[in-house]
Amino acid sequence: MKKSLLTILLAVMVVLAGCVSTKSDVSDKKNDNTEPKTDKSKVVIELLGMGSGEEDMNIVRDQLIKNGFDVKLNIQPDYGSFTAQKEAGNYDVALSSWTTVTGNPDYAVRALFKSDGDNSIMADEEVDALIEKASTETPNEFAKTYKQLEQRLVFDKAYIVPLYNSFKAQGVNKDILDVNTVRLAKSRAIAWEPIDFNDKTKRETDSLIVQQANGTLTSLDPIKANDGSINTLNTNMYVRLVNLTDDDVVVSDGSLSYNHSIAEGNSAYYFLLRDDLNFAAITDGKAVDTGERVGADDVIFSLNRAKDPNSVPDHRTYSLHEHIQDVEVVTDLSELDVLQSGSNETIREGLEKGLDVKIAELVSDKTSADNTSGKYQVVKMTTVNPFPQVLNYLAHQSAGIVSKKQVESINTYDVASFDVSKDIPYGDQNSVTEGAKYNNTLYASGPYILSHKNDYEAIFYKNPAYMAGTDYEPKISNVTVRFIQDPDSTLSALRNSEIHLFNGVPETKYDLVENDSKLFLQKNDSNAVSYLLFNTKNREVSTSEALRKAVLYSINQDEILNFYQGNKKKAVSTVSPMVDTGNELKADSAKVQEFLNDYKAGN
Amino acid sequence: MLNKKHALKISREYTQANFTWIISLILTVVLLLNSFNFKEGELKGSVFSVFAAYAFFTIFQTILTWMVKRDLLTIGEIRSSTRKLGYVQLFSIVTGNVFTAAFAFNLIKKQKTPEYTFAVYMLLTQVFIIAISSLNLFKSYVADSFLSAMIILLGIMIFQVVTLILTARYVKEESAPAWMMIVAIVLLFTALTGNLFALLLGYSLIVKVRSHDQSKISKWNTMWKKITRNSTAILGLFFIILMFSISVCSTFTFDYDMAVENDYGAILQKPSLAYPFGTDNFGRDLFSRIIFGARISLLVGFASTAIPVVIGGFLGALAGYYSQRTDNIIMRLLDILYAVPGILLAIAIIAAFGANTTNLILALSVGSIPTYARTMRANVMMVSNYEFVDSARALGSADFSIIFRQIVPNSLAPMIVKATLTIGGAVIATSSLSFLGLGVEPHIPEWGNILKIGSTYLESHSYLAIIPGLAIILLVLSFNFLGDGLRDAFDPRMD
Repeated sequence: MKKSLLTILLAVMVVLAGCVSTKSDVSDKKNDNTEPKTDKSKVVIELLGMGSGEEDMNIVRDQLIKNGFDVKLNIQPDYGSFTAQKEAGNYDVALSSWTTVTGNPDYAVRALFKSDGDNSIMADEEVDALIEKASTETPNEFAKTYKQLEQRLVFDKAYIVPLYNSFKAQGVNKDILDVNTVRLAKSRAIAWEPIDFNDKTKRETDSLIVQQANGTLTSLDPIKANDGSINTLNTNMYVRLVNLTDDDVVVSDGSLSYNHSIAEGNSAYYFLLRDDLNFAAITDGKAVDTGERVGADDVIFSLNRAKDPNSVPDHRTYSLHEHIQDVEVVTDLSELDVLQSGSNETIREGLEKGLDVKIAELVSDKTSADNTSGKYQVVKMTTVNPFPQVLNYLAHQSAGIVSKKQVESINTYDVASFDVSKDIPYGDQNSVTEGAKYNNTLYASGPYILSHKNDYEAIFYKNPAYMAGTDYEPKISNVTVRFIQDPDSTLSALRNSEIHLFNGVPETKYDLVENDSKLFLQKNDSNAVSYLLFNTKNREVSTSEALRKAVLYSINQDEILNFYQGNKKKAVSTVSPMVDTGNELKADSAKVQEFLNDYKAGN
Repeated sequence: MLNKKHALKISREYTQANFTWIISLILTVVLLLNSFNFKEGELKGSVFSVFAAYAFFTIFQTILTWMVKRDLLTIGEIRSSTRKLGYVQLFSIVTGNVFTAAFAFNLIKKQKTPEYTFAVYMLLTQVFIIAISSLNLFKSYVADSFLSAMIILLGIMIFQVVTLILTARYVKEESAPAWMMIVAIVLLFTALTGNLFALLLGYSLIVKVRSHDQSKISKWNTMWKKITRNSTAILGLFFIILMFSISVCSTFTFDYDMAVENDYGAILQKPSLAYPFGTDNFGRDLFSRIIFGARISLLVGFASTAIPVVIGGFLGALAGYYSQRTDNIIMRLLDILYAVPGILLAIAIIAAFGANTTNLILALSVGSIPTYARTMRANVMMVSNYEFVDSARALGSADFSIIFRQIVPNSLAPMIVKATLTIGGAVIATSSLSFLGLGVEPHIPEWGNILKIGSTYLESHSYLAIIPGLAIILLVLSFNFLGDGLRDAFDPRMD
């Protein structure tokens, strides 16, 4: 009895004392186990980012400060000034993000981390070797190699600090659109052709209205751009040899080929072409069938110019296609009688799968192809090394098929002496912008063609000769792309039916879309990864591995996930969304202190 | 009867009584609406009890108003029994209703000296500071200096209660007893907490104790009577001083880390006792952020007004006093500056030199130099024709001495009024720039920054936008009301 009274009394006292616990009471309890720091001076880290990444920057700033750093923020309003600051080297860590639009892991690391990569600022021989090794391997083998790569890139050397892997979310107005026809793919840009209205009688009269943030289009020539301003537009304007499914499997569905097949040895690739696609052009403000078929010569032309850095000035995508060696049309039917890779069927059997009329004859002239009578065209592509992931690159918008005849007739300038002020290249956005310079010379092989644009919107019309009568024929005749920069404004536009589709609903606004009775929220995984990139020149972080690791272990991905209300996933590197390597970054303040002390001791 | 109607008209108490019951009723209705959850048809107990308390005092206020009216209409003055009822209404201070409490203080005392008003508002300010600060008790922990700071604040409050009683008893319209000097000096020290009413009261007492110049005292009395008669002006002054004082005291009673450190376990919490205004998307306590935000808004507001007042005033004085040529050179140069849109100039300065508080102040200051120069120049031109200026000149005073000793002090009134009115504008400009991402860094608690985050949660967590919005509105409104009151007080035609 006495004992329990005493306990109660003690409890009451503890509660009373606990009522006003001061800050140092609380923090003393927390820090009981941490050893006293030897050097109390704070290391200053300069964090560079864009206004749009303000929230991530705040989380990183907060986590670094809690681990004993001091953080200086450098917030730039747009991508241009961000890049300028980055190139000037005014940062210790830069908030970066990467989206693997081709859906294969090689693309996620090659350009970013290889010594000679397009976007790489680092040089590490072991990283280079691992990237090369993984590229020749099949999915079962490369998981292990990529795990080693992550170990080297993130944990051993701390070149980057991974933050998170995003989801993709798309809001659809289900009162207007048939939700089942709207796809949300993990990697590829959205395809407009299957989208349909609930009221099918409106297909001809009403427009499908979608949104895009950037209204300045880099180029409508597929090889001259690879960014958010044109990825969706060029994907819908140019057909490719293959496509990606929603979960990143390479297929021929909805592409220029009926089927494709890989020959034994993984270096030769065959594509059986369709004969029901013609190029469309804009004449008098209408989309017309040019009567010119999309054929093997256009494929060969398109892929050759894609891999050749000198085919156009300011070529942005050749590094994606540097694996291509040769592209040729196959006329000898017996060439198809070799075995497929990892199978005992022949290429011919592979290509004929599901066809009503089997291959009777191969023709080299596209006009004489006639699939109903068995006359087909087959294109063969070879790669420099065995490289199965090449098909993912062929599914990218930069491998879109352009018209040989049309492009050659427009690009008459000399590439070496190209003059921006005088020469107008194929796909120049000025040629489709309303005004005096308007002169639409586009030839679209895809389901839609861009008619004209201004700062507010771009208007697309259906290609009248695109797989007519098949499932892939575009359902809606007109597509309007609104240029709205700010996600919150876009969400408002979606909610008041100004647009029908919003790809990229912010994580913190999912509940608004879900609670709106006329909207439907589609969610899928995505290949977008955010990470911190260390400066590799003239900074403390460039030379001190210990300092980099101190930053690495300061980052707590659980807290980031909390902030995004669970609508993000953990990541270790840019390959995380595609390959499950089993690695995980765990925040550890004890390690941070250890590394910081190492750094201060001059290691 | 006519006389009594006139008594009703000129009675300060009756005007204020009307103002008070209307405002009080509005607050009560707002509370009533908030105490129901219309979606689920539930009653929120805590809000409803606050509503009940407000409703009680509002009803009592209405009764008081009716009694005051009846008294004035029947006997031409308020009965002392009615005045005694004011003591009951004093308890409304517990509900935080500053309007009814201020009225109660006014009703109790028949002869109101400016000192009495200062003492009342000084006490009200102190009570509010202590009440606001003690909300921190509900948090998981308090700042290290919290307990000692609260004890000091409470001690000051007790001293102020004593001062209020002494002031009500012993301070007369034209003089105060000599021993009040000690009280006055202690008051000046307590003004270090930011409670400027204590400073006003202390100064006022010293003037009354020491000065034998009756005209000076009556001038002081008249000016403050005009301001205090204007309910909105004095309430504006009250809110400004409250904000100022809380900015000073928050250094000791609030924990800055709660306002800037992210707490991922408490993201977007609804308002509760631990988080009176809820938390934002990073789990930071909105209440602490608003309190610390007041500091930046006031600092930028005052500094970016004081700088152009000094520079513009100086240039304007020179331009107004000297010949055509000096005038032309200065004013035409300033006209060029005047032609550049102020907010664009500020954006350009910030874009060029980076976003921080110093640059923000400079950016906002530069643009408003010309308007102050114009105001000063016009006054100086008028004042320099007066006889006392001529006599100073005849006595051989130097030009600078004439300008800054004779002319400028006599041209200050319009400058003060203008400055008060434009501080509000500066507060808005600060918040606008922060809202656009051009002000202070995003994690720093500043009202514009807070509003920016709030604006994206307008629908789901509207309090994140409403509260900083209200704070900005109230502060700007207070400055405008005060400026209005000052203009009336300084205007000789209103005598």
